[in-house]
Amino acid sequence: MSRIGVFICHCGENISRTVDVERVAAEVGKLPGVAFATDYKYMCSDPGQGLLKKAIREERLSHVVVAACSPRMHEKTFRKAVESAGLNPFLCEMANIREHCSWVHQDRKEATVKAIELVGMMVERVKKNRVLPTITVPVTKRALVIGGGIAGIQAALDIADAGYEVILVEREPSIGGHMAQLSETFPTLDCSQCIMTPKMVDVANHPRIRLYTYAEIERVEGYIGNFQVTVRRKARSVIEEKCTGCGVCMEKCPVKKIPNKFDQNLGMRPAIYVPFPQAVPNTPVIDRENCIKFKTGKCGVCRKVCGPGAVDYEQEDRLIVEPVGAIVVATGFDLYSIEEKPKGSPIKGYGEFGHGRIPDVIDGMTFERLASASGPTGGKILRPSDGREPKQIVFIQCVGSRAREKGISYCSKICCMYTAKHTMLYHHKVHDGQAYVFFMDARTPGKNYDEFWRRSIEEEEAVYIRGMVSRLYQKGDKIVVMGSDIAVGVQVEIEADMVVLATAVQPQKGADALAQKLGISYDKYNFYSEAHAKLRPVECATAGIYLAGACQGPKDIPDTVSQASAAAAKVIILFARDQLEREPIVARVREAGCVGCFYCKKVCPYGAVEEKEIRDRQGNLVKVVAYVNPGVCGGCGTCQATCPSKSVELDGYTDEQIVAMIEAL
Amino acid sequence: MTPRNILRYAYYPGCSLHASAGEYDLSTRELFKKLNIGLTEVPDWFCCGATPAHNVDELLSLSLCAKNLELAARVGGDLAVACAACFSRLKTTQHVLSESDVKRQQVEKAIDAPVPLNGNVKHLLDILARDLGLERLGQAVTKPLFGLKVACYYGCLLTRPPEVPNLDCVEAPTIMEDVLRAIGAETVAWSHRLECCGANFTLSRPGVVLQLSHAILDSAKAAGADCIMVACPLCHGNLDIRQKEIEGVYSTHYAMPVFYITQLVGLAAGLKADKLGLDALIVNPMPLLKEKGLL
Repeated sequence: MSRIGVFICHCGENISRTVDVERVAAEVGKLPGVAFATDYKYMCSDPGQGLLKKAIREERLSHVVVAACSPRMHEKTFRKAVESAGLNPFLCEMANIREHCSWVHQDRKEATVKAIELVGMMVERVKKNRVLPTITVPVTKRALVIGGGIAGIQAALDIADAGYEVILVEREPSIGGHMAQLSETFPTLDCSQCIMTPKMVDVANHPRIRLYTYAEIERVEGYIGNFQVTVRRKARSVIEEKCTGCGVCMEKCPVKKIPNKFDQNLGMRPAIYVPFPQAVPNTPVIDRENCIKFKTGKCGVCRKVCGPGAVDYEQEDRLIVEPVGAIVVATGFDLYSIEEKPKGSPIKGYGEFGHGRIPDVIDGMTFERLASASGPTGGKILRPSDGREPKQIVFIQCVGSRAREKGISYCSKICCMYTAKHTMLYHHKVHDGQAYVFFMDARTPGKNYDEFWRRSIEEEEAVYIRGMVSRLYQKGDKIVVMGSDIAVGVQVEIEADMVVLATAVQPQKGADALAQKLGISYDKYNFYSEAHAKLRPVECATAGIYLAGACQGPKDIPDTVSQASAAAAKVIILFARDQLEREPIVARVREAGCVGCFYCKKVCPYGAVEEKEIRDRQGNLVKVVAYVNPGVCGGCGTCQATCPSKSVELDGYTDEQIVAMIEAL
Repeated sequence: MTPRNILRYAYYPGCSLHASAGEYDLSTRELFKKLNIGLTEVPDWFCCGATPAHNVDELLSLSLCAKNLELAARVGGDLAVACAACFSRLKTTQHVLSESDVKRQQVEKAIDAPVPLNGNVKHLLDILARDLGLERLGQAVTKPLFGLKVACYYGCLLTRPPEVPNLDCVEAPTIMEDVLRAIGAETVAWSHRLECCGANFTLSRPGVVLQLSHAILDSAKAAGADCIMVACPLCHGNLDIRQKEIEGVYSTHYAMPVFYITQLVGLAAGLKADKLGLDALIVNPMPLLKEKGLL
C-alpha cells in the first residue's frame, strides 16, 4: 500500500487567494493511499522544503505530490528535495493548481473543487510511478559558437581561454560583425575598430579556436554534451592555407564596381575581395555572381597574378561534421528597412518616407560608415546623392520601433544612444552644421549614458524636438521633413540636406530557419527565446544551447559582451563535468508486443530508435524489434502516440497512468 | 464576348456629380459606354452624409451609407463610385459595421433592413485598372496621350485610412500612374500626391485651402507637370476653381488644367471634348490639349 504525502502550496497569495488550500488538504487527506496532507505558504522556500523532507522521514512516505505551480517552474526543486530525503526523485509529481487553476478562475468554491480534482488525479498517477535510475552520458568538451560578431568572439575567447576547444562559424567572409562597421562607440567615443580588431586577431591566433568563415550551419543532431554539427564551408575559390593576403588579386581584378555590403553599398569592391582591410582572416573570396570568370569563362586574371597559386576556381562547398558538447548562438541583428514590403507582410515599410527611394535618407549604419575613418568617404560626412556636405541634418528616432501599426511594438534599445552619438560625430566633423533630432522620449539607462545624451544637447548643440515625423519628401536637392513639436504644440517643417533614420533592430534574416535546425524556440519577431526571462537569460529551453547578443533581443555592446561571457561561463560549467546526468524519463519498448513496423523510428526527432534482433537459444532470428537508446531519447513521447500496437511507453506517462488519472476525475 | 467579360455595375454618382462636378458624371457615363461597361444608376440614391454627417452623429452617417448600400444591392453587381469622399464613407461604413455587431444592429434598426456588408464598393480607378484591366484599357485607346505630362493627385481619401479602402498602398500608391501609362500619358514623380487640399474648409476657412492647394500646385509645377489629374470633385474644386485666386494671393502663375480621370481616359479612348465636359473646367485646358495635338 502506498503512503503518499501531499503538499499544498499557497504560493504567497497566488493560490490561496482563489483556492481554499486548507480544504484541499483536508479532502485530499481522505483519498486512499494518502498518508499525509498539509499546506504551507511557500512550499519552495527552505522551511517549505524542510517540511517536505521531515514528513518523508517521519511519515515513511512512499510517494510525494506537490500541489503548487507549473512543473516547468519547480519540478526540479522538489525532486531534489525528495532525493535528499532518501526517496527516488521520480516518485515525486506536481499538480499544477496555480497556472491551471487559481490564476485562471475567479470563483473560489469552484476553483477549490477543481484543485481537489487536479491533486486527486496526480495521486492516482504517482502511485504507478516507477523508481528510475539516473542516466549518465559523456560530455564532448568542445563548443560551437555560431556568429563571429562581438558576441560570438567574446564567447569563443572566454571558452577557449578556459582550456576548451571552440569551433567558431561565421557566415560572412570575415569575422567582426556589425561592430567592425561602427565608427565610434557610446558612451566614451572610443573607436570601434581600435577595440574590435585586436579581439579579432586574438581569435585568429588562438590555439584552441578553429575558425570557419564563409560557412553556415547545415544540420544539427544529438543533444546536450553530444551534438553532431554539420558545417557547410562555402566555396571561397581561394585556398586559405596558401593565400598570403598580399591583395594583388584584388588590385588586378577587372570588375571594380560592385557595391560593398560592408560599406552599406556606398563604397565599391572588386569581384575577388575582402570586405574590409582589417578582415580576419585576410583571405579574399570570389563573389561568383559578379566574377567574369564564373559568368563567361573568360578572364582568370586573379589566378595568373597570384604568386602562391591560391586561387582555385574548381573549389566546391565542403561539408564538415564536428562533434561538440555545447552550442552558443550569437547570430546578431539586422536593421529594419523602410522599403516597400511584400503584401500581407506583418512588417510594413514607410511609404510616407518615400519607401527608401530618396537617396539622402539613410539609416544609422550608413551614417556609421560615413563617419568611420576607414569608410568610403574616409570619415567625411557627405551626401550619397551628390557628395556635398550636409549643413542641416535631421535624425529621426523610433523608425519601425515602438510602432505597432508598422508591425513592431518593441523598443530597439540602442537608437537613443547612437543617435546622440551621431549628433556629436556630426558636430565634430561639420562645425557649421546643425543637427535636429525628432524623438518620442530619450531612453538612456546605463552607466554614463544619460550624461552622454545631455552632452549632445548641452555641449554639442543638437536640437531635440519631441515629436514624430509624418512625412519626408524631396524638394529640389533638399528633403522636407514635416513633423510636430508636441512640447510647443506646433507643426515643424525643416528643409534638410540629409536625414538619418534610427531604424529598428531586427534578428538576422534566416534566424527562424537556423532556430529550426537547432530546435530552439523564437518569438514572433524571430528573436530567440531564453529559458526564463529573469533567471535563465542566456540559456535556451533546449539543453546545451546558449544565447549571446542581439539574436535574443536588441542589445548594445556592453550588454552583448556581458551576455557572451555569461554564456561562456555556462558552457564552462557544463564542461567542468565528465559525465552528464540526464533525466531518465525515456521511452521503453515492450518487445513482446512490438511487431517491428518502425513507425516510431520514422517519427523520432532525436534518432533514438534502433533496430534490435531477437534470437532464440539456437541463435535463429525470431524477429526484429525497436529499441530506444536511453542516452539519445529526449522523452517527447511521439513514439508512444504513433505506435499502432501500443508497445512503446514513456516512463511517467504510460497509458495506464493516464487512464488512472481520468478515472480519478 | 464571353459572359465574364461583360462588366456591369450599380452606379452611385453622389451629390457633387449631379451639381458642381457634372462634367465628372458626364465623362464617366460616356467613357463607360465607350468601354462597354454597364452602369445602372442606383434608383432613389441620396447623400452619403459626406464630412458633415460623421462629424455630427455617427449613427446618422453610418445609416445614410447603409441605406444607400441596401438600395445598391437591389440593383445587383458591384457598386461603382466616382467621388473619393462617397467611396471613403461607403467603405468606412462597411468596415465599421463588420467590426461591430452592436453598431450594425443599431443601423439595421434605423434603416429597417439588413445591411449588405459583403457587396463590393469600387472606385472607378479600381474598375479601370483591375476589373477591365490595364491591357484591355490599352486596347481601347485610339488616341494615346503621348507627350502629356500629368501629375496624379490622390488626395487624402482614396487610400486612407489604412485597412479601409484597400485600393492600393496607403502611402505610395501607383494605381493612377498605372492607368495613365496604359493610355500613353507621361506621369511625373512629385511630392504632394497624397497631401490634403483643404477639402471642406473651402467654405468655412478658405485661407487654409488656399495655402494647402497652393503647395500642391507649386509642387506639381516644380515637377514639370502640364496638368493635374484627380478623382474627387472636392479636390477638383479646390485646385481648379480656386486656382485663379491662389495665383492672386501668392503672386504666381500656373494655368494648370485639372482633369478628372475619366476625362483623360475618355480623351484617349477617342471621345470628343463635348462628351467629356471639358468646357466646364475653369482653367481652360484647350490651349494645352491643342499644343500637345490631342484635340
